[in-house]
Amino acid sequence: MKVKRFLEKLVEGALLISGSVTSITILLIVLFLFKEAAGLFNSPVIEEGYVLAMNKSNPVKKLTSYQIKEIFDAEITNWDEIGGKEEPIEVVRLSDLTKYYTEEELGAEFENIPAKASELTAKHPGIILFLPEQYVAKNFDGTLLKHEKLQPGDFFGGNEWYPTASPSAQYGLLPLLLGTIWVSLGAILLSLPFGIAVAVYLAEIAKMRVRNVLKPLIELLAGIPSVVYGFFGLVVIVPFLQQTFLLPVGETALAGSIVLGIMALPTIITVAEDAMRNVPRSTKEASLALGATQWQTIYRVIIPYSKSGITSAAVLGIGRAIGETMAVLMVTGNAAVIPHTLLEPVRTIPATIAAELGEAPVGSGHYQALFALGCVLFLITMIISISIEFIGKKKY
Amino acid sequence: MLTIDAKNVDFYYSDFHALKNINLEVEQNKVVAFIGPSGCGKSTFLRILNRMNDLIDGTRLTGSVLIEGEDIYAPGVYVDELRKKVGMVFQKPNPFPKSIFENVAYGLRVNGIKDNTFIEERVIESIKSAALWDEVKDKLKKSAFALSGGQQQRLCIARALAISPKVLLMDEPASALDPISTAKIEELIYELKKDYTIVIVTHNMQQASRVSDKTAYFYLGELIEYDATTRIFTNPKEISTQNYITGRFG
Amino acid sequence: MKKEKNIENNTNSNNSSIVRGSNSSKRWSQAIAFTIFKLMSYSVVAILILILGFIVSKGIGAISWDFLTKAPEDGMTKGGIYPAIVGTLYLVLGSSLFSFPIGIMSGIYMNEYAAGSKIATFIRIMTNNLSGVPSVVFGLFGMSLFVNTMGFGDSILAGSLTLGLLSLPLVIRTTEESLKAIDFSYREGSLALGATKLQTIRKVVLPMAFPNIITGLILSIGRVSGETAPILFTVAAYFLPKLPTSIFDQVMALPYHLYVITTSGTNIEASREIAYGTALVLIFIVLLVNILSTILRNYFSKKVKTN
Repeated sequence: MKVKRFLEKLVEGALLISGSVTSITILLIVLFLFKEAAGLFNSPVIEEGYVLAMNKSNPVKKLTSYQIKEIFDAEITNWDEIGGKEEPIEVVRLSDLTKYYTEEELGAEFENIPAKASELTAKHPGIILFLPEQYVAKNFDGTLLKHEKLQPGDFFGGNEWYPTASPSAQYGLLPLLLGTIWVSLGAILLSLPFGIAVAVYLAEIAKMRVRNVLKPLIELLAGIPSVVYGFFGLVVIVPFLQQTFLLPVGETALAGSIVLGIMALPTIITVAEDAMRNVPRSTKEASLALGATQWQTIYRVIIPYSKSGITSAAVLGIGRAIGETMAVLMVTGNAAVIPHTLLEPVRTIPATIAAELGEAPVGSGHYQALFALGCVLFLITMIISISIEFIGKKKY
Repeated sequence: MLTIDAKNVDFYYSDFHALKNINLEVEQNKVVAFIGPSGCGKSTFLRILNRMNDLIDGTRLTGSVLIEGEDIYAPGVYVDELRKKVGMVFQKPNPFPKSIFENVAYGLRVNGIKDNTFIEERVIESIKSAALWDEVKDKLKKSAFALSGGQQQRLCIARALAISPKVLLMDEPASALDPISTAKIEELIYELKKDYTIVIVTHNMQQASRVSDKTAYFYLGELIEYDATTRIFTNPKEISTQNYITGRFG
Repeated sequence: MKKEKNIENNTNSNNSSIVRGSNSSKRWSQAIAFTIFKLMSYSVVAILILILGFIVSKGIGAISWDFLTKAPEDGMTKGGIYPAIVGTLYLVLGSSLFSFPIGIMSGIYMNEYAAGSKIATFIRIMTNNLSGVPSVVFGLFGMSLFVNTMGFGDSILAGSLTLGLLSLPLVIRTTEESLKAIDFSYREGSLALGATKLQTIRKVVLPMAFPNIITGLILSIGRVSGETAPILFTVAAYFLPKLPTSIFDQVMALPYHLYVITTSGTNIEASREIAYGTALVLIFIVLLVNILSTILRNYFSKKVKTN
């Protein structure tokens, strides 16, 4: 008897452990994602192995990642634009040294570069020199920027995503976040009216026989892999949009929204229909007994009554759309710029991760930035899950 | 003219023959009680009178039901118009998740009335008729769910009265309520009789004898006996009726 | 009576019939609304048919015995998709070995041992949260934990574990719901005969819930076989001519194959035919899974009824 009871306890323990796997997984996801991402804010602003040098008299002693990029793109051309003196910026790369010195002066083995670089920096008040660390002289005459760390503001507030930019890679979240939001909002705007209409039709209007046919078909829509949706979008929707709107490319935010809208439909329909079916029969009958038509009953009683369920459906649909990767990756064109219309290419957070993680060396700033994107995505979906939990509990 | 006149009504749920050859007449401004054991068809028959059974798949009716001389099952009949004239109060109070005022105004609004002064007058009047005014006059904008069960049921009655029905159907309106609320509802029925024709389904024999002018006893889908209430409760013709009202079964 | 007149005036129905009021606007709006809803519903079905029809009609020409049994040739422009089919099978198998036992056991724990308790609620919330995590985040997580930290490298093992975690919520939910559907009286009947809780679960509850659980498992297989993002960085290979020999090998997989040959293959146009064929095979798996689960559900529900 004792053995039997022990066995029962043992099994219960094993079941409990299995039950805890999902919680542990969430914990591990948080742990690993954030661990990898945290490194981002500890990584140098300037490309590994390089330094930026400026004249000592220059009052600017710090540059953000974005400022560096703007300087080297010649978008910022005067130091007074970033808090310095009125002085034109002189951008010098290693290869530009030959403009200032002859090859003889630099030495046959470039052994004089450190000395000349130091000299040049000291002579030109407006210089900014991008130099490999190995060419920095011991007694370098100038301000060196090499231990600048990437700031959270560069990531969360940055409006450029350009991870291969030199000398300072750009890890701005905003274009990707806005791209994600645009595509997802577009998707939900397209699919919500359809989703609710189908849910109303299935729950209140369609005959049992019709419903029994439609319901499995809609479930089938949920089973199609996202890569197939992406493929369909690429070969059908993208060319269609290109021809209809006479666009240079058909891979646009709108293409993403359409594909995601179709993909979000089954979720919205199922959740909204369940909510409408939960409206008590007696409430429906009360309305009909007062001379309301079926349609009046639907929009005056059933829809208000299932408001929280319909909201859940919409939020869940948005959640699906925000996290969707492959289909979006294949149809949105993946331009990492802040979109202005739905007819431009955009890039979403999940698509960026999927497209770039393969090229990012493990442990590099780029790799960490992609994990940081993963964290943002994870947090967004957590907020969505929790808010659904909250909406679900609320009763009118 | 008879208010309700059912002739040879047979009713089926798919294969189940729920009502068999029912013939029943109700005169204006009378209260008729339907009694009988569970599953005898009394509620089904009540729901035939405002075509509430239409909502159930696979139901079928033969025979004819005339209300104020018109066949309510004839082709071309609009059920929403019918239900406007034949109001219903359900077993359990089923207010909408809206304010007290909007609950009563609902029937007016869905029937296309837009005049707000008229709606307000009518709502107040109906709540007064349902003997609820003193209890809710200060909280008309509050949710109907804040009311007690008995108050909710009177609200549902007020809601039904607001659209001025000719007939009021009540499906065990007091079965979910406490004795005090029940007494109030019964009192109300007595008052309402002056203006409405009322059909009430009840499990409670005392209630039937207290409120109704005539009583119909249903058993196994048949109308066994239909007569003045005093006669049914003192001197029923049928042995089955007698057994039921004396509590031998049911 | 005066009031009634008033209502009639307000609704413009001055005829006294009780069933034929002339308040037709509400009936018109109902007719219009219902027509719109019906059209919208059928257009959703039309979208489904369009997608299925398009891929079937374009892909059917690519399907042949060689396509299903040969490796890709000439930079993915010719040959078949056999290694991808095999790879997907391995991944489905591997992830199922992980998610089925754990998922079913969690479901049993939640419904049989902890029903209604705080623990069950907590597990349910966590499971729901996990099911909301985007698949690409699973990919990141799998890469960080299984590939790098645990050192499995890009391998069937890492990919299967990642996919297994992804499908876990679905398995748990279907198990829990299947168990919940079984009336409590069956459990009481068994317990009253002196059976222990474990015996009751094993001999009474599980056999009854089995058909529904199986349906859920089949659906989870369908889901796993179509997932791309989680395998991108944990197992999937662009091109491997030979089949894997151990769980530490990389494999090709159908959804990844479709992705690469439509977006980054060496010759995208020339691979189109193969892409249509691959999409059709994926669609076929989805259809098969759905039909199978429907048949099983109907078969078992009939069987239970007659018993």
